[in-house]
Amino acid sequence: MAVTWRNLFRRPVTVHYPDVVRPYPDRFRGVLALTYDPETGEENCIGCRLCEYICPPQVIKVEMLKGEKRNYAKIFFLELYACEFCELCVQVCPTDAIIMLKTFDLAVHDRRELLLDKDRLHTLGQQFEPSWATGTGLRAMQAPAPKGGEKAKAATDAAE
Amino acid sequence: MPDPEARTVLEYGYGGNERLVMNMGPQHPSAHGVFRMILTLEGETIVAVEPVIGYLHRCHEKLGESLTYVQYPSIASKTDYVAAMTAELTYVRAAEQVGQIEVPKRAQYLRVLAAELQRVASHLLWLGTWCMDMGGALGGGATMFLYCFREREMILDLFEALTGARLLYGFHQVGGTRYDLPVGWADTCRQTIAHVETRLAEYEGLLEGNTIFLVRTQGVGVMSAALAQDVGVSGPLLRGSGIAHDIRRAEPYSSYEDFAFDIPLESAGDCYARYRVRMAEFRQAIAIVRQVLDGLPAGPISSRPGVKSVAQVKLPKGEGYARVEGPRGEVGIYLVSEGATKPYRMKWRGASFSNLAVAGHILPGHKVADAVAILGSIDPVFGEVDR
Amino acid sequence: MSASDLVWLVLPSFILLNGVLALITYLTLLERKFAARLQSRVGPYRVGRPHGWLQPIADALKLMLKEDIVPAAADRPVYNLAPIVFLVPAFLMYAAIPFAPRLALADLEIGLLFVLAVSSLEVVGLFMCGWGSNNKYALLSAMRAVNQIISYEVPFILTALVPAVLVGSLRLQDLVAAQQGLWFVAYPVLGQLTFVAFVVVALASENRIPFDIVEAESELVAGFRVEYSGMKFALIQLAEFTHLFGVACLGTLLFLGGWLGPGPAGLGPAWFLLKALILFVLIVWIRWSFIRIRVDQILGLSWKVFLPAALVLLLAAAVVVIARGGGGV
Repeated sequence: MAVTWRNLFRRPVTVHYPDVVRPYPDRFRGVLALTYDPETGEENCIGCRLCEYICPPQVIKVEMLKGEKRNYAKIFFLELYACEFCELCVQVCPTDAIIMLKTFDLAVHDRRELLLDKDRLHTLGQQFEPSWATGTGLRAMQAPAPKGGEKAKAATDAAE
Repeated sequence: MPDPEARTVLEYGYGGNERLVMNMGPQHPSAHGVFRMILTLEGETIVAVEPVIGYLHRCHEKLGESLTYVQYPSIASKTDYVAAMTAELTYVRAAEQVGQIEVPKRAQYLRVLAAELQRVASHLLWLGTWCMDMGGALGGGATMFLYCFREREMILDLFEALTGARLLYGFHQVGGTRYDLPVGWADTCRQTIAHVETRLAEYEGLLEGNTIFLVRTQGVGVMSAALAQDVGVSGPLLRGSGIAHDIRRAEPYSSYEDFAFDIPLESAGDCYARYRVRMAEFRQAIAIVRQVLDGLPAGPISSRPGVKSVAQVKLPKGEGYARVEGPRGEVGIYLVSEGATKPYRMKWRGASFSNLAVAGHILPGHKVADAVAILGSIDPVFGEVDR
Repeated sequence: MSASDLVWLVLPSFILLNGVLALITYLTLLERKFAARLQSRVGPYRVGRPHGWLQPIADALKLMLKEDIVPAAADRPVYNLAPIVFLVPAFLMYAAIPFAPRLALADLEIGLLFVLAVSSLEVVGLFMCGWGSNNKYALLSAMRAVNQIISYEVPFILTALVPAVLVGSLRLQDLVAAQQGLWFVAYPVLGQLTFVAFVVVALASENRIPFDIVEAESELVAGFRVEYSGMKFALIQLAEFTHLFGVACLGTLLFLGGWLGPGPAGLGPAWFLLKALILFVLIVWIRWSFIRIRVDQILGLSWKVFLPAALVLLLAAAVVVIARGGGGV
């Protein structure tokens, strides 16, 4: 009983969400989004479908649109209600097109609203703060050492 | 050889007493998940138990055949969802064993770090839910539950900073780990485990100074060493009955031989002994974490290039069994590869599946109230039982 | 009987009933907030900001609006009557409890006996709940309840009688007046032992943790009240809390000096409520700190420990009375 008495005088650990939002760590795996290239303003996604193939629950559907200089994604559907948030799609993306955001707050009344299409994914990418993880960042973190262990460590630290 | 099909059925033969068949059904506040026990009672005493499992079967072994070696590790965490790190570790170790893939030293140390932190978090959950089962969801048990979860949340915060996820991590991959430590993580980790250690001492005092707790756990659910070995239990259940078997000592994997730790052992075989084993394991796990943080080598975290495509890992033909000492016992995977990017057959050995089998043997003779105490001390996670 | 006589007959009971009802409703909030602080959290917060002041009202409204589900195989008359039979004795207890020297609804010569007798009637309502539900869990719990409550009523009555023996009267006003110089709980050895025994045994006859196997949620999922929903469930909860607070009031009267306290006599009821609340908070604190005891251990405790202890204490009280030369403290 003394233990409970002592706890009476400790501050409660409750975070009064949504009035107070706790800070999310850099690598937080939240809702997915598609990105634009910050320099050219073009979509990053080239419709290569690597994310579609690697997704374990197969929630991504992509169709490629062939262009002159580069390819695009004609359609890009992501079924967020079935997504496992495993980050494998982010891992394989060659152009860092698909990323995860520092938000998870997407409760809806109708499940169909969680079937995110390309426009919605791009909008989300503009709206919320992105997490640290990008395809190139993750692959650089995992890459085995080139000849010279120091360089690899420096590369890993730089990727933070 | 005792009959593995046998269930203990006691014949009391009280004159004129009716037997009541009661269902402690799949939906129950303290069935620890979806688990059905058909109890035959005489008064308050359990006379026979028929356990029914399978409510959480999600075809993991078939999924293992349909998903590649790159995709499956994040799914593997969903078997033992309370101790996801050790579940993933088992799968990647099995794949590495079949493919003779080397894992760099830093990755091995990170795996040990993750596994031991996960052990602490899993045991915190066990302690909280066990006390809640014994004490009532609205009452003293809930107080212990919330205290343990308060500490567990801190460890989950650590994992969140490391991987981005709090419960199902996707931390391991074939060849190493997916994530490296962020800047400043080691210091936060040290602070957290120091805090958890002080709180643990408080909880030990709270429980062991409490006569009610002692009376409810000592002498309850006694499992002899012979029974434990016959049924095939592992983990804290085995060590609580006096058999010193820990895979981290018997067949060290992932650089466990580099660390100094004790294997806690108790011989009484009752709930209290299993409780003491797990409490001691807390401290050993924290000691290992400290050693890992002190001795973490620099280097790559994976021996294979970063995952770029779904069919990246192709294992040669062969088969192999990898076992890992999870918080609940021996988690194992038997992998058969035909030389493709997916296994031909993958078999999970769930620790809780074998541990739960002992319930049919030790429950009869106890009261209904003991059933929850004993089930809690067995610590089943039904993702592992039903896969 | 004239109209004004009728009004004077009914009005005090009306005021008392409503007052107790309002107090008990807010006691549930007190319990939840106190429990939350013990567990490092905040408790009801949003309903009636900033600290959940409207939570009990919200709960009451919710329960009133809920669908009243009656199991098809339930024994209807028993099932429907049970919450009422459970509730009435709890409120009836307050009729004899004095809040100040002349502020009691019924100033009975045998006040203590009345309160104890009425509080023992709870077990009838409890068993009716369990039986009428036609549910194995409910029946198992009801049988445990009968077992436990009957076993603990005997030590309960005996420990409550110790102050009565020392004073020589069953009238509750006399018991409090006799504590003018020294509260019973401060009485050397005898007072403290009896108080501790009283609290523990009262917890057991209230089905409070650590003795709440009757409603052990983790085993029997709400026990005897598992088949009740909506307003009937609200009545059962209300009855439990009312009974509990009634026993806390009784404890205050017997051991903590009732309305006695420094200051003018008008502060009497305030002191009484304060002390009863302290006892209530003690009971809540115990509830949220301990795990429950197993049923056979509870019964063993009752018959092997508390009954002999209560008998010894009663004998000791009798010896004290004789040593003092009979009657009076």
